[in-house]
Amino acid sequence: MERAVDDKTILDKFVEDFVKIVERHVRYIICSGFVSIAHGRSRGTEDIDMIIEDISLGNFILLHEDLVREGFVCVQSENPKLIYGDYLKSGASVRYVIDEEGFFPPEMEIKIAKDELDREQIDSRKKFEMTGLDVYFSSIEGNIAFKEELLKSKKDLEDAKHLRLIYQDKLKENEIDRIKEKIRRLRLNER
Amino acid sequence: MRDKTHAEQVERWAIFCRENPLEFKKRVKPLIDSQIIIARRFFKNLSKTEEGREILKRLKQK
Repeated sequence: MERAVDDKTILDKFVEDFVKIVERHVRYIICSGFVSIAHGRSRGTEDIDMIIEDISLGNFILLHEDLVREGFVCVQSENPKLIYGDYLKSGASVRYVIDEEGFFPPEMEIKIAKDELDREQIDSRKKFEMTGLDVYFSSIEGNIAFKEELLKSKKDLEDAKHLRLIYQDKLKENEIDRIKEKIRRLRLNER
Repeated sequence: MRDKTHAEQVERWAIFCRENPLEFKKRVKPLIDSQIIIARRFFKNLSKTEEGREILKRLKQK
């Protein structure tokens, strides 16, 4: 499926540039809103959600330095040890933007995989030809399950509906149900 | 307004994307790009004044 390079949006280019660097250091997935947007959902966003595998401090420093060398900056801190200890390993996310004066959108919001659900999503990551992007996404079934079972805002339910219509003959409903059950067990019980 | 016609539009557009996989991105690109361009322009203008920089700082701490 060939699509002209000029068709790529600002978000597409930002994500492709970013993941090219991350992939050198750690496995990742792009999940949530940008999955739907990359599949044509006509709505905006200023942050892209990324989950990375658990990573050692040493490897994270290498990743951070690589990102900085390639023109990205972390909004929370310039210090990779602090980003790692105070944010990522504490379960919080950090945001990287293109390095210029001021922190302007778009932003890449990164979290470390925190449980079996996140790790499972990384293990089943996929590239989707229809998006025209060289990017690993979490599965469509996973995205639908999270949006319908956990997130549930109007926007999230519309994202899920969009993906359901796009992949209507290809979706594994039993897989969506299985992930929803895990969400109830691992995420909703913890609230 | 997020009423029935909005839901119908979401559905109509998803079906267009499914049936026109080489076409949809070209159609949606101006909308997605303009949102980022407008936000960047707004933040850049804010960053030109002391008051604006304070607002930016507050926004980033949220």
